[in-house]
Amino acid sequence: MKQANDIKEPLLKKIIPNNLEVQILRLTNELKVRKRQLKQGADREKLAKEIFRGRVSRGADREKQGANREKQGADREKQGADREKQGADREKQGAVREKLAKEKFRKQTDELEIKSGQVSQGVHREKQGAGREKLAEEQFRQQSDEIEIKDGQLKQGANREKLAEEQIHIRTKAMEATFDGIFIIDAKKPDFPIIYANPSFYSLTGFTKIEVIGKNYFLLYGEAENVHSSEEIKQTLLRGKPFQGEMLHYKKNGKKFWCLLRITLVRDKNGSITHYVGNKTDTTMMKQRDSEIKEQREELLHVTRVGKLAEFVSSLAHEISQPLTAILSYAQAAQRLIKDREPQLQEILQYIVNDDQRAAEVIRRLRYLLKKTKPAFEPIEINSLINDTVTLIMPDITARNKTVKFELVTNPPSICGDRIQLQQVLLNLISNSLEAMEGNKDSHELVIRTSHKDNDRIMVEVKDSGCGIPTENVKKLFTHFFTSKQDGLGMGLSISRSIVEAHGGHLEAKNNPVHGATFYFTIPITKKNDQ
Amino acid sequence: MNNSIIYIVDDDDSICKATSLLLKSNGFKVETFTRAADFLAFKHPKVPSCLLLDIRLPNINGFALQKIMAEQGIITPIIFMTGFGDIPMSVKAMKVGAIDFLPKPFTEKKLLDAITLALSNSKVQNTKQAEIAKIKGRIKTLSPRELEVFNFVARGMMNKNIASKRGTSLQTIKVHRGRVMQKMQAKTVTELIHLAQKAGITSSLD
Repeated sequence: MKQANDIKEPLLKKIIPNNLEVQILRLTNELKVRKRQLKQGADREKLAKEIFRGRVSRGADREKQGANREKQGADREKQGADREKQGADREKQGAVREKLAKEKFRKQTDELEIKSGQVSQGVHREKQGAGREKLAEEQFRQQSDEIEIKDGQLKQGANREKLAEEQIHIRTKAMEATFDGIFIIDAKKPDFPIIYANPSFYSLTGFTKIEVIGKNYFLLYGEAENVHSSEEIKQTLLRGKPFQGEMLHYKKNGKKFWCLLRITLVRDKNGSITHYVGNKTDTTMMKQRDSEIKEQREELLHVTRVGKLAEFVSSLAHEISQPLTAILSYAQAAQRLIKDREPQLQEILQYIVNDDQRAAEVIRRLRYLLKKTKPAFEPIEINSLINDTVTLIMPDITARNKTVKFELVTNPPSICGDRIQLQQVLLNLISNSLEAMEGNKDSHELVIRTSHKDNDRIMVEVKDSGCGIPTENVKKLFTHFFTSKQDGLGMGLSISRSIVEAHGGHLEAKNNPVHGATFYFTIPITKKNDQ
Repeated sequence: MNNSIIYIVDDDDSICKATSLLLKSNGFKVETFTRAADFLAFKHPKVPSCLLLDIRLPNINGFALQKIMAEQGIITPIIFMTGFGDIPMSVKAMKVGAIDFLPKPFTEKKLLDAITLALSNSKVQNTKQAEIAKIKGRIKTLSPRELEVFNFVARGMMNKNIASKRGTSLQTIKVHRGRVMQKMQAKTVTELIHLAQKAGITSSLD
């Protein structure tokens, strides 16, 4: 037993301290390894930090991202510091334990061998740590590469920016140079302020830059004006459609002008409207010219209508007064023949006479009502009269796809006549010619020619290349109520002839040798002593 | 009523017939024509007459016919008729020597008034024409020398001036003049000058 104890005791003794020793050794080694690892880790971290800082500081100028990475780096540093602290804490703990063990097992603290497995385990862990470090380094490299790419992109961007700047400069200059008033509205802001207006906008509206920039376009003109069109513009734009319209505008000083306003939309890449671009064109001059032409046409139309009616009534009166004359004469002859006989027949004959005269009176009054005003004679330059007249009928000519060729004598002597009546004649001849050419697609040209007929007369010719005049109609052309048109009244040419004759001239027609017909009239030249 | 003739020129046959009937019922002798040319071709007897003329006529219109009549020495007074009666036209008609201007339709009274005036005018004209014809007939009986002296006297020349101009004696001139007065049936020199004027000789020659 004792023996057994003896044996047992050292064995136990041996085993127990051994176990402690091993434990201590293991712990110590572990601590050593960890310490070393931590130190290595700290060094590497530090190194990485330096590299990272270097790189980050390079990128920081251009890239906020760089700063973020730096922060990331700092975070990692902090993390590292935390780990270090953790390690230090553990070291402290270990030191306490070591002290405890040293006190307890002083003797057994001499030579203890590290178990190779434990050592290899430590080495393995170290290797693992190195792997992680390598990975981290790889990540850093990647990140720095990314930074470099971004850097290149930024440089490219700068070049593009330079090019774009040149283009913007040209475009801005162009916008400033244009005659149209251009303005840009910021569509993102709730009050739709004008953010740009070109010089023409200011000269057109009379407003100054201070009065325009930052203001709402519609408020610029006051609320009372153009309420209708303002509302229309707003509604159109709100529907996401461009606006176009011609309207009467007022300058700052209240002066009216006609304006063609066009507003287009500018969208960003997502399709939402960012700006409105407005374009104002002053159309006052065009409008005036248009309305002048329109007025003249209407005046002429009115005169033509009245003239036609008067001529019509006059012709009708003639046609009716002929039989009325006969009836009156017959009745009065009968009265004479049965004088002093047949009182009842006498009475009846008197009724016929009275009613005949009543009818005659109606006609007389009607004719008086439509009496033609006395033509206003004035000196006229025939070429300018022709030009004016063609201007009036130009829309018709263009619509029919025809052209007018002028062969006008230079410096013609002035003639004396009624401008409007002569225009009426020309209009009549020109529109007849246009109608004659209507059926023929190959004939486009209408020739208007002036020439000296002789020393006393100017000749005006209107030559078409239309269907010509059928031989049987040539003689009847100028008679009242003769027409070859479906809806014609047969007054135009007869009125034209009477106008020309009232001017002391003659209106005639002839067929051309090849195609169409020519209507020509003469007008006496004003003699010096006539004026 | 008398031997007067009323001519009517109107292209409307109905007007011709009716007006003719009315005038005949008033005792006038009437000739109607629907064309101006027919009227011109007609042989006009030398009796008081007047022409009722429509202004609007085919080919030769009223004014043109009037001009031709004047050229041909047809002195019939003209009354214009028109269905287009307006003032400028009537003024024109009166200016060129018409007796009257009747807008259609016209009453019997207006027609007869115009005709009465025209016929009395025609009578005066005819008398004048007859007188001129008589004077011209007398002039034809003058010898060339007598005619020469007549022309000088008609222009108011004195005998001695005529003598010096012709290079003959005053006596010879006096003899010629005496024969001229006898042939022309003029009692005084004044009467002789008057006859010359009527014959339209005064300003001729030279």
